[in-house]
Amino acid sequence: MCASPASSPRPASVLPAWSGEKPLTGGAEASERALVVMPRRCIGCRTCELACSFAHGSAGKMARPRIRIHPAGEKRFVQITCLQCVNAACAKVCPVQAIVRDERTRALRVSLDRCVGCGLCQAACPFGHMHFDRETRRAEKCDLCGGNPACAAFCPAKALEYR
Amino acid sequence: MAIRIFIDEQEVKAEPGESVLAVARRAGFDIPALCYHEAVDSIGACRLCLVEVLAGSRPGISTSCNMKVEDGLRIATDSPQIRRDRASNLELLLLRAPANPVLRDLAARWGVRPRLQPPPDAGIANCILCELCVRVCAALGHNALAAVGRGEKKRVGPAFGKPSEGCVGCGACLSVCPTRCIVMKETSAARTIWGQSFDFHRCRVCGQPVITERHRAFAIARCGLPEDYYDVCESCKQSQASQRFAGVVW
Repeated sequence: MCASPASSPRPASVLPAWSGEKPLTGGAEASERALVVMPRRCIGCRTCELACSFAHGSAGKMARPRIRIHPAGEKRFVQITCLQCVNAACAKVCPVQAIVRDERTRALRVSLDRCVGCGLCQAACPFGHMHFDRETRRAEKCDLCGGNPACAAFCPAKALEYR
Repeated sequence: MAIRIFIDEQEVKAEPGESVLAVARRAGFDIPALCYHEAVDSIGACRLCLVEVLAGSRPGISTSCNMKVEDGLRIATDSPQIRRDRASNLELLLLRAPANPVLRDLAARWGVRPRLQPPPDAGIANCILCELCVRVCAALGHNALAAVGRGEKKRVGPAFGKPSEGCVGCGACLSVCPTRCIVMKETSAARTIWGQSFDFHRCRVCGQPVITERHRAFAIARCGLPEDYYDVCESCKQSQASQRFAGVVW
């Protein structure tokens, strides 16, 4: 996750340390492209949530969005989505190694054929980005749409970019 | 070293040790199966994943989930005989669990009409005894489930029919059950499954359930994450994260 304006170089990590642990740096650093999140540009329209819902919906139903807009004071918003952590808690607790790093996008992906729906990853993610679908009873998370994230494509304020 | 096998005359690459079913599904072949799950060993219980081995060490009709790939293996995934055999196996599963909606759905799609009457006590458990829940529970390290009883009295459940000490109430058994016959009741107060009630560990911000207390204790002992990782619910963690990020940005 990057909070700097588009022109300045991306810092190694902008995240504060969590619970005294080492800062969790974005797994995106190992990839050529990253989902760059710029809260200063966000206008809070929640088009990204809608795009995500459509992109991951099936059988005519919209999905629960994997990106969320949170208010952060007067006319300020923060987009909250998976950080694709290098040392990810979700992958660490998964008892069946169902959360795997996508070779191409470097995103952490839930293998739905391998997930057994125990719900541990959801409880363990320190940022609240791991979800549990109560209908399919499987974990679900941001997978960067396989390399073309819908949230970034539809953001009218260019507050989300995949570059 | 990659192995070459032939599925319906099409050449497919596989790694040694992979199951024929996994390789075939990856290549896009539609082989039905109920008791197969990638995360655990296959035992060929439901017998719907039958294929015909045309060349290989297990010639004839065989289950593909517990058959390992071998170089030069040739199989057919669809033929009148395979379809007939799968249909008879489904018929037998239906005798055990006649009212199960998943089986009835499959039967309707395949045009299967049971020719035999189910025994009077069939379907009480609504379960086909594939033991996928048992295998998954063991793989997670809980070992709370087993096949209880023998013969027509065989059921899946906690050993001796008594509440298990190993069960953490995670509900993975329910998540993987191919015939959706495991019942879990959940209220805001507790979760009840296999005759046992589990209290929730609650979010220290909003009080919503996060995880069962037993599952949390198990995770803390086994997973090596700090204890407070399991103390806040998903949406409160998101709010906390957004506040932290806002503090960095502005």
